[in-house]
Amino acid sequence: MKSLPAASRRLAGIAACAAAMLLASAPGAAIAQGYPTKPIRFVVPFPPGGATDIITRTVAQKLSEQLGQPVVVDNKPGAGGAIGSDLVAKAAPDGYTILMATTSTHSIGPALNARLPYNPERDFAPVSLVATSPNLLVVTPAIPVNNLREFIAYARAHPGQLNFASSGTGTIVHLSGELFKRMAGLDMVHVPYKGTALAVPDLINGQVTMIFDNIVSAMPQVKSGKVKVLAITSAKRSSLVPDVPTMAEAGLPGYTSDTYFGVFAPAGTPKEIVDRLSREIARAVNAPEVRDRLAAQGAEAVGGPPAELAAAVRGDAEKWGRVIREAGVKVE
Amino acid sequence: MDLLGNLALGFGVALQGINLLYAFFGVLLGTLIGVLPGIGPVATIAMLLPVTFTLPPVSALIMLAGIYYGAQYGGSTTAILVNLPGESSSVVTTLDGYQMARQGRAGPALGIAAIGSFIAGTFATFLIALAAPPLADVALKFGPAEYFSLMVLGLIAATVLAHGSLIKAIAMVVLGLLLGLVGTDVNSGVARFNFAIPELSDGIGFVTVAMGMFGIAEIVANLDTAEKREVFTAKLTHLLPTAKDFKDSAGAITRGTLLGSALGILPGGGALLASFAAYTLEKKAAKDASRFGKGDIRGVAGPESANNAGAQTSFIPLLTLGIPSNAVMALMIGAMMIQGIAPGPQVMTEKPDLFWGMIASMWVGNLMLVILNLPMIGLWIKLLTVPYRLLYPAILLFCCIGVYSVNNSTFDIFLMVGFAVLGYVCVKLACEPAPLILGFILGPMMEENLRRALLLSRGNPMTFLEKPISATLLAIAALLLLVVVAPAVRQKREEAFQE
Repeated sequence: MKSLPAASRRLAGIAACAAAMLLASAPGAAIAQGYPTKPIRFVVPFPPGGATDIITRTVAQKLSEQLGQPVVVDNKPGAGGAIGSDLVAKAAPDGYTILMATTSTHSIGPALNARLPYNPERDFAPVSLVATSPNLLVVTPAIPVNNLREFIAYARAHPGQLNFASSGTGTIVHLSGELFKRMAGLDMVHVPYKGTALAVPDLINGQVTMIFDNIVSAMPQVKSGKVKVLAITSAKRSSLVPDVPTMAEAGLPGYTSDTYFGVFAPAGTPKEIVDRLSREIARAVNAPEVRDRLAAQGAEAVGGPPAELAAAVRGDAEKWGRVIREAGVKVE
Repeated sequence: MDLLGNLALGFGVALQGINLLYAFFGVLLGTLIGVLPGIGPVATIAMLLPVTFTLPPVSALIMLAGIYYGAQYGGSTTAILVNLPGESSSVVTTLDGYQMARQGRAGPALGIAAIGSFIAGTFATFLIALAAPPLADVALKFGPAEYFSLMVLGLIAATVLAHGSLIKAIAMVVLGLLLGLVGTDVNSGVARFNFAIPELSDGIGFVTVAMGMFGIAEIVANLDTAEKREVFTAKLTHLLPTAKDFKDSAGAITRGTLLGSALGILPGGGALLASFAAYTLEKKAAKDASRFGKGDIRGVAGPESANNAGAQTSFIPLLTLGIPSNAVMALMIGAMMIQGIAPGPQVMTEKPDLFWGMIASMWVGNLMLVILNLPMIGLWIKLLTVPYRLLYPAILLFCCIGVYSVNNSTFDIFLMVGFAVLGYVCVKLACEPAPLILGFILGPMMEENLRRALLLSRGNPMTFLEKPISATLLAIAALLLLVVVAPAVRQKREEAFQE
């Protein structure tokens, strides 16, 4: 290069720049066509064994078959899902790192914690909804109620005396309780536990009055008669527990509370790749064996276009954000 | 269900091929680490925790339990043969066991240790089967107030019963309490002492602390002392004790079993304390105590029976109340949580196959241990010839892999190294890490239950005294505290541990 005249050196530099720019702006279609050419990393921001993990593994297995490339599940738990979510937010937007997000990482977390290292709308490209999962309203057998109307009447007659348990301050179980309090006009004290499983003994012996617990962990207790189930928080009844009425049917119209599970890619991921992933996920979750395995986790399979997931994130963020403000929930 | 029906259910589970296999793997590994000085069941179980993710819950717990009581057996082998206690609970076994070996009576010493342990293990297993159900009935009456009072008692008992300096034990408990405060507070959701590091917002992992404080710190401390080994294999002629040996040690085994069973149930007690107490008791009970320390078979039979009985009965508070009585039991709680089982009274009623299967497997495991230990002693001696320069790097590697795999986080590995440094400093200062672990585990639980009880009582502290169980527990705790503070008693306590 040293022997070249200055002018041609500059020219070579310009050419190299142009080539680089051309490469950088190469249409996504070209990249997306071969996609995927290597294994995809599917980050779960929660520990192995939980509902999010099992749902992700079920979907990942089906996706691997469909895409012809391994989809590797990578658990990065911690800080209520913030560690794993932040990792994906800052990953290369090439479609090879995706995240299984939930209501708590993308709707409640940002509303609760202003110092979260990521912004769910700015840093992520929504790909597809995967599933939604309702909770059951269960109460202790220590109080004389058999349905939701009786319970609301009983709670109004005993203001300030009843307790509702949760899996921790700022969790969806806590906020579901706060929303229930406001909509039914009740005065109850919030008692947090480290996970709903630890609250169950106190629910059985009557120390706490009620909790919103997921179908899978609550039903064994209900069947053995140790707790009573009053309603399910989804808009429609669940095929897992067809006898349990919705909150609306049981006497509290307008009350719903679901956890969504949705796939996100880092912001800037080529649209072609996002669309391809979205279609493949919709196909995967509609496969009968996937639906069955999700149902066994108390979740209903839902696939949908990116816009649907974006709407769910925004809708839940507004809904829970309002509950957080009105109930004065603070974690800092 | 009656006792026999329950035991039948338990043996049905324990005798399944896969569970037999995991029980065998557990006791084999336990014996192995028991034989290896410096590697204890805590580090081993901590290392194996991530592996249990993929196992069925019963098999996982059977294996981990097997490691724990297997270590009690293995620890005595090296204590007797080479004067190296493989486990802290077999420290006293060296006193008379090693002397017996030098007199060419290593066979009877090893034999009586294994047989005494088996008798103690059998008794303790049936004690768990008999006494655990009534305890569990009481346990459902335990709400936040009762749990808080129980933990107060546990922490106080731990310092009273711990050996060594009282001040140091208290200091370590307090340090543990402080470490336990790191992370998000359950009641308010506020992240405490996390220095804006997201990895700390869920608190410090127990596996991280245990591996650093016990595993790595122990290795570093062991490197301080030059390797010195003396093996008496040549003199291992006959294994079985004589009729006179049996006659001499029958009383010691009985007393050791009873004492060990009782102490094992107490939080902070367990196998370690049981063996010390049993040795003291044998010395006091003997008409002629002059032979102790010079190869008296009672000095082997008593402590060895006691530590095994204690190892077994320390499962009672775990299985019925979900409360750990020592660091190993705390790890077992971790293992149960990983499997989605909330340890507590409901385990017995909701998962009877798991509960009774585990109890039955303890007896099966004890039987396996006798079979392992008697004819295979020669093999254990061979293992001792593996040089530490090969062994230690391997252990370090496994520790790193183990800690990383809990959260897939490199941060945890650095944290473990930090705890290793702390652990080494503690070894140098002769501070036991066990009280720290106890404080680390019980502290956050205690705070959580205190605040929960006060939430439920709407801020009325009298709730702890109005509830009979809670009041009783607090009264016992106060009494124990009095014992510690009373100077006369304290002096006696120190004398007892000087021996």
